Amino acid sequence: MGFIRNTLNAFNREVGRIMRYPAYPVLMFILPVVSFLFFGTIFSIGVPRDIPVAVLDNDKSPLSRKLLTMMDATPAAMLAYEVTDMAEGEDMIGKGIVMGVVEIPKGFEKDVYSFRPTTVSAYVSGLNVTANGMLTKDLQLATTTFMTGIQIQQLMSQGLTEDQALAQAMPFNLDSHVLFNPYINYGYYLLPSFLPLMLMIFTLILTIFSIGTELKNATTEQWLATTGGRILPALTGKLLPYTLAMFLMTLFMNTIMYKWIEVPLNGSVLVLIIAGFMFILAYQSIGVLIISVLSNLRQALSIGGGYSVLAFTFSGLTFPLMAMDTWLQVISYIFPFTLYTEVFVDQAIRGAPVIYSVQHLGWLSLYIILPLLCLPRLRQVATEERFWRKL
Amino acid sequence: MSAQTQAGGYRRKVLEEIIMGGRFKIKWKELLRVMRSEYSHIFRDGGVILILVFAMLIYATIYSLAYKNEVLRDIPIVIVDNGNTSLSRQLVSALNAAPNINVKYQAASMEQARELFFDRKVYAIVYIPSDAESRVLGGRQATVGVYVDASYFLMYRQAYSDIATIVVGSGALVNYQKLLASGVTVPQAQTMVQPVVFRARNLFNPYLGYATFLMPAIIIVIIQQTLLVGIGMIGGTWREYGLYKKLITPGEKRLSTVPIVLGKTAVYLSIYAVTTTYILGVHYQIFHYPMHASLLSILAFMVPYFLSCIFLGITISTFFRYRENSVMYLLWTSIPLLLISGASVPREAIPAWLYNFGKLFPSSSGVEGFLRLQTMGAPLGDIMPQITTLWILTAVYFGTACWGIRRVIKVVGD
Repeated sequence: MGFIRNTLNAFNREVGRIMRYPAYPVLMFILPVVSFLFFGTIFSIGVPRDIPVAVLDNDKSPLSRKLLTMMDATPAAMLAYEVTDMAEGEDMIGKGIVMGVVEIPKGFEKDVYSFRPTTVSAYVSGLNVTANGMLTKDLQLATTTFMTGIQIQQLMSQGLTEDQALAQAMPFNLDSHVLFNPYINYGYYLLPSFLPLMLMIFTLILTIFSIGTELKNATTEQWLATTGGRILPALTGKLLPYTLAMFLMTLFMNTIMYKWIEVPLNGSVLVLIIAGFMFILAYQSIGVLIISVLSNLRQALSIGGGYSVLAFTFSGLTFPLMAMDTWLQVISYIFPFTLYTEVFVDQAIRGAPVIYSVQHLGWLSLYIILPLLCLPRLRQVATEERFWRKL
Repeated sequence: MSAQTQAGGYRRKVLEEIIMGGRFKIKWKELLRVMRSEYSHIFRDGGVILILVFAMLIYATIYSLAYKNEVLRDIPIVIVDNGNTSLSRQLVSALNAAPNINVKYQAASMEQARELFFDRKVYAIVYIPSDAESRVLGGRQATVGVYVDASYFLMYRQAYSDIATIVVGSGALVNYQKLLASGVTVPQAQTMVQPVVFRARNLFNPYLGYATFLMPAIIIVIIQQTLLVGIGMIGGTWREYGLYKKLITPGEKRLSTVPIVLGKTAVYLSIYAVTTTYILGVHYQIFHYPMHASLLSILAFMVPYFLSCIFLGITISTFFRYRENSVMYLLWTSIPLLLISGASVPREAIPAWLYNFGKLFPSSSGVEGFLRLQTMGAPLGDIMPQITTLWILTAVYFGTACWGIRRVIKVVGD
């Protein structure tokens, strides 16, 4: 029972420190909430709407206007300007007024009605790949719909019924199912990765800071005194307040995501909650490792900070891991974040059977061994004066 | 004007010059002392060198390596072909020929396909029903089921667009063959199948490469963030080491504001001139990022960018009492600032007020101006709004930096 009493002593001392220094509540509650609000706001629109596009209509016929109206009606495109030549359109792209130019060739209407092939061109800036993808997709879709309409019209004028004409024009009907993110909303992809990323940064900083300041201010003796010099209960008691606070924040984060933003939640809530808890523990463990090895608060914060920001890239949520070189795919697993996002994708988005996440949780739990390996080193830096007061 | 007053005015001028000259000399020496101290504190401190010099090089290299392949190819998919007819085989081989997808498995049932999907072996399922061929040949529409994983955005977009194009295109092919069989001439059949061709050209980034798109923006944001964190760290050092008192010129009461601000600025400018030259000169070459701007226009753009970042950094640094504060409070802002610049999330998807709020930070105008200048090759005149904003920020943050330093001098002096 000595272990529990010692842990509680260290815990109580840590809670006292948290109450005394505003830096702790700021990092534990205020900044995470501010960052959540930021990401919630920036993704509140979700999909880009009405991206400005210029039109170079060389035909100016009823038919060309019909196609342009259809393009304008798509969510992504807004035909905002009319230009008289390509140079003017390019100039507008250069100035950032429009993202692209749609060009309709001269004789467009005549060609269509007299069965001559004709080409509609879109010149779209590739500066922003996401916006480019959405804009091009919508412009193409509008043209295809327009084209199918013309085909059906022509076929019906040859005496086919509407159904027959449709089957002739489009032999295959595409029955698309989006697995399992029905909204294809950009926010749904990114929010569930950015919010835990923020929690991870603050968890890591808190861990390093709470141990590192003891070294910097040479107060480790008082810390260890609460447990009679035993390092394991001292460490457990010190980290526990942050574990609880950050675990609470994961619950708060989940509430924001699934209730406020309405990110799909198709799988096991319990697995997601457990994953959140282990995610916090894993990053506390890495924090302990970094500060134990470096024993210098500021250096540990710089290294820990640099490491935490990298995790996002290696989660593959934006640029897929599959497209990276193999050695980088292997490296991606030094970031528990990657494992956590895989659990999230499986459970929240895909609704995969629980068994698929057990393996990931298993790997995640391996990180929790790290602090045990660091204990001798931590005891050394906490008891030997030469590791203290490093600025 | 009488000769006497003229002479008096002249004398006063000379007197003023001597006094001002003397003051100027003291301030100049103060500035040099600030610079010397700043250099030595940066280069004697591994933590600061790491942030101000190496962070940019390390981050730029790691991100560039991760995004090196630019685009995603051969996304594995599975086909469930219940009929196994010549039509479905034709569809499968057409799918296989598409650049972005790769038919890796043929499953006997949807159940099997589902398992492959959850095992992360495939990212899309194409379901061809057994009656597809008979329906199409009988002049009725056949329904092809397409299930694409949308949990990874880029993957979804590429897989879906390839599958949709191929399936619709195969339909057109069937249509075409039928028209030919019914006695229509080849060009006529071609036009009837596809009366309007849609051709999309991607400007500035022809293959829509991920690194080409994101790396320039990341580099600009890294410049700002490392400056803010690094300057903040040194600001904390000044407080912790009591440099505000140690650097006072003998005979003077306290340090004055402007030499501190300008001295620090000169030091950071010199360091970033070197690292940025490496990034734009060497790193850009290694990874083949688009370089369309002339040296002169890059310089005209980077000067206000650096200055506004540095002055903002000095302003923020005056709030830090300890060296570790800047990492703790500034680190998390990197990704929000990248997003708010409109470089990754399209500007049209960001609430307008938030996007405008972002312009308070040099990175927003920095990213937009730099992308247009360097990636698009726009002339300097086209990015005047961004350059103007940066100069305004430079002026404002110079004011706040002086105010902040003066405040700290008072706080530590009393």
